[in-house]
Amino acid sequence: MSQLASSALSLPTGKTRMRRRGVGNRGKWPVIVLFLPPALLLFTLFVILPMGEAAWYSFFNWNGYGLPDQWVGWKNYELIFRQSAFRNALVNNGLIIVVSICIQIPLALWLATMVTKHIKGALVFRLIFFLPYVLADVAAGMIWRFVYDGEFGLVANVARFFGQAPPFWLADKDVAFYAVLAVIVWKYFGFHMMLFIAGLQAIDKSVLEAADIDGATGWQKFTRVTLPLLGSTVRLSVFFAVVGSLQLFDMIMPLTGGGPSNSTQTLVTFLYSFGVMRMQVGFGSAVGVVLFIICVTLAFSYKRVFMKND
Amino acid sequence: MTDTATPIDAAIAPSSGRSLGIKTKTYLYAALLIVAAVVLVPLLTTALGGFKTLGDLRGNAFGLPQTWMVSNYTDILFSQRYWLQMGNSLLIAGLTVFLVLTLAAMAAFVFAHVRFFGSDQLLNYFLIGLMFPAATAILPLFIRIRDLGLLDTYWGVVLPQVAFGLGMSILLFRNYFRGMPSELFDAAFVDGAGYFRFFWHITLPLSRPIIATVGIITFVGSWNSYILPLIMLNSESKYPWPLGIMVYRGEFSTDWQLILAFITLTIAPTVIVFFAAQKHIIAGLTAGAVK
Amino acid sequence: MAGLELRNIAKSYGAVSVIEGVSLTVADGEFVALVGPSGCGKSTILRMIAGLEDISGGEIVIGSEVVNDLTPKERNIAMVFQSYALYPHMSVYRNMAFNLELAGKPRDEIDRRVQVAATMLELGPLLERKPSQLSGGQRQRVAMGRAVVRNPSVFLFDEPLSNLDAKLRVQMRSEIKQLHNKVGVTSVYVTHDQVEAMTLADRVVVLNRGVIQQSGSPMQLYREPANTFVAGFIGSPAMNLFDATIVNGTARTASGEAFVFEGAGKSTEGQSVTVGIRPEHFLRTGQGSSLTGRISTIEPTGGQTFVTVSIAGQPTVVTVSGDDNVSPGDELTLFTTPRQVYVFDAASGQRISENAHLRA
Repeated sequence: MSQLASSALSLPTGKTRMRRRGVGNRGKWPVIVLFLPPALLLFTLFVILPMGEAAWYSFFNWNGYGLPDQWVGWKNYELIFRQSAFRNALVNNGLIIVVSICIQIPLALWLATMVTKHIKGALVFRLIFFLPYVLADVAAGMIWRFVYDGEFGLVANVARFFGQAPPFWLADKDVAFYAVLAVIVWKYFGFHMMLFIAGLQAIDKSVLEAADIDGATGWQKFTRVTLPLLGSTVRLSVFFAVVGSLQLFDMIMPLTGGGPSNSTQTLVTFLYSFGVMRMQVGFGSAVGVVLFIICVTLAFSYKRVFMKND
Repeated sequence: MTDTATPIDAAIAPSSGRSLGIKTKTYLYAALLIVAAVVLVPLLTTALGGFKTLGDLRGNAFGLPQTWMVSNYTDILFSQRYWLQMGNSLLIAGLTVFLVLTLAAMAAFVFAHVRFFGSDQLLNYFLIGLMFPAATAILPLFIRIRDLGLLDTYWGVVLPQVAFGLGMSILLFRNYFRGMPSELFDAAFVDGAGYFRFFWHITLPLSRPIIATVGIITFVGSWNSYILPLIMLNSESKYPWPLGIMVYRGEFSTDWQLILAFITLTIAPTVIVFFAAQKHIIAGLTAGAVK
Repeated sequence: MAGLELRNIAKSYGAVSVIEGVSLTVADGEFVALVGPSGCGKSTILRMIAGLEDISGGEIVIGSEVVNDLTPKERNIAMVFQSYALYPHMSVYRNMAFNLELAGKPRDEIDRRVQVAATMLELGPLLERKPSQLSGGQRQRVAMGRAVVRNPSVFLFDEPLSNLDAKLRVQMRSEIKQLHNKVGVTSVYVTHDQVEAMTLADRVVVLNRGVIQQSGSPMQLYREPANTFVAGFIGSPAMNLFDATIVNGTARTASGEAFVFEGAGKSTEGQSVTVGIRPEHFLRTGQGSSLTGRISTIEPTGGQTFVTVSIAGQPTVVTVSGDDNVSPGDELTLFTTPRQVYVFDAASGQRISENAHLRA
């Protein structure tokens, strides 16, 4: 899965542990020739080439049949940036990142500290919190579409219980995306919590006992010992949040489909609605290229700037 | 620092330390229960909702059904489409996992143990695939699949999934292979084994943990995937369950009780397998991340 | 600076009781070592003193105050952990200053106290480094420095030298002893290494399965062990033990060797006993009855050679001078001195022989 995958930019420096092993120079070519090409072929054909082609097609106006013949230069890109739907998508993606950093990660960290304490059932709680992550985005989106439904949903039930008219949050363009954000937090906080649990497990308990003896209160222990030692985990968590937010599609479609009035578009739903649905290959490819550039820039610079010592 | 360090995680630490005060415990449990409720309520009401009539659902979303409309569930369970879709998902996921494991293990083996000119650059080439999601090049991908005549076939979904999963998988396998003691190589070499035999008789049997990890990540990813099948498949008979769920919803638009039953049945396998194999699944999904 | 008293301490995890009725008094400024095999409860006791474990029963008194319900900080104790437990993200200086910072002490006082401790432990040039940049011995000293800075009432050591290599351990042992002579704080030192305990402590307490076996000065434990456990635990190589029966006031083994011992009056005819003789107490010359056996292995260590001889049908370790010419297969004749023959009741393990502390 790309979301998980994008972490692994710990590129190998060829000099680490590259001792000569194995049978020696003579024996190695058969294995190279037999073992590498299948993966190489598949990868090039379905990942690299399409990306290159996207860059090429983005300069055309094309419906996908025959050959692209209508050269339009940068027009597709201009169109993209002029679309309000695209601007919404950018803003929304930014909002997701902000919410992830300000709400989801502290929440996950808080829960992680609680479920690693000595209480009965801590493991059961961990499972429950992780469960949403394992479900398909599509299913989660549909479940919450029901929750938010203004007629039959849970929200409607609760409103009627209090004698209020049921709200239609998902149909309200000013509120819809916030409703979506809530679902995103619901879906992914468990994953981040697991990351933090792993980070906490790496801390030596005696260090915290030493802090006890040094007279630190619970809060002081957390802020001055635990949190600094969790630095790399926090950075990793933010990285996943950022990378994941750029790929959000499956969850949006059943919830809102991108509407109302394009207020809940994300970069990928925008690509789908405006590129794929309308069979505008040139335009869609341009969106893909923009998405690609954003992804790669973010991934690269984040790793370089924030995570270089991890 | 030292190998006698005790872990902070009370669930796996040996001694009990100071026990928590009653005030702390109450606060902890209250907070955890509230969050657990937020997680479980949508899921439970979905499952329960499938047993209700529409009117019952509308008026009483949180409570038990007035009449248990088991037929909502049995209709789906006895329908062909449910099993067809589950089968499709299983087939696609199975093929994807098999291919990813095979191809990635082989390629990673070469990267881990064989030095040749350009091997570093080639590895970086694969790692590029980690940097962007499948969605970016989905249109050219669609065109390619169509031109290969694989549109509306299982392979049209499986092959791209495999291709995109290769980067991560090769990395995980390679790191694991490199972590194996190099003395194994020397011993096998002395015993007269070449690369192929070493791969088959030693590397693979010892790689169960990483095979499980990569297998789980790949399977879950494929089982839950939506956008790729959405674009590559046309015939409903080939739809995996994420597409099926959307089609069902389209058909029964406001019959929420039926939709909820369908959702419950489609996520039931996931939930059951998750609770049955939790350790492995959690370890697999998070190990991929941390590495 | 204060004395420490444990009154009838008990610890149980649920229904499992791991420590029962342990009572101990440590005088102000005394250095006491708690020794015993793994799982004997010594670390648990230490952690209870520190306040890191709940006390299931009994009282712990520091100075004149019962501290059962006090937090570690309130007890004014300092602890050196087995894994040093240094804060990995803080410099050596900050590691040592942390507790003073938490207490809100003014900057100049913190600086002064840290510098004093750093000088005492020769950490001056290392103050800006992080723990990951230090060697094992240096980290150990930082851990001690962190404890020293606090001017605590009690020092607690939890097997602090276990992670160091043998040579470093010997060196650090003497540094700890020097530190104690300088600072004179009441100290409780837990270790499984009886040599460490013997060389460092004013008093040694031997524990087994949560029960104190014996408490006394190192030499007391060596010369007058209270039971077979203490006898076998203290002293290296370990004391040799033989099954025997009391016949006519001597201890006689099944194969006929007779051991004369002092304090025969306390034994009864026919009593089953265990005879213990330390490897270093076998003599090559002497009077009276002797023992003979064939040498099976020799282990030269330079000044001494440990020889394994078959006596009374079992392998027995004998210490001979390194200058002696011995080879496997030789016949060795050995003598014992009555005062150095230990006889323990076979059933209870208690010592019945008299092995006076002072040489007459």
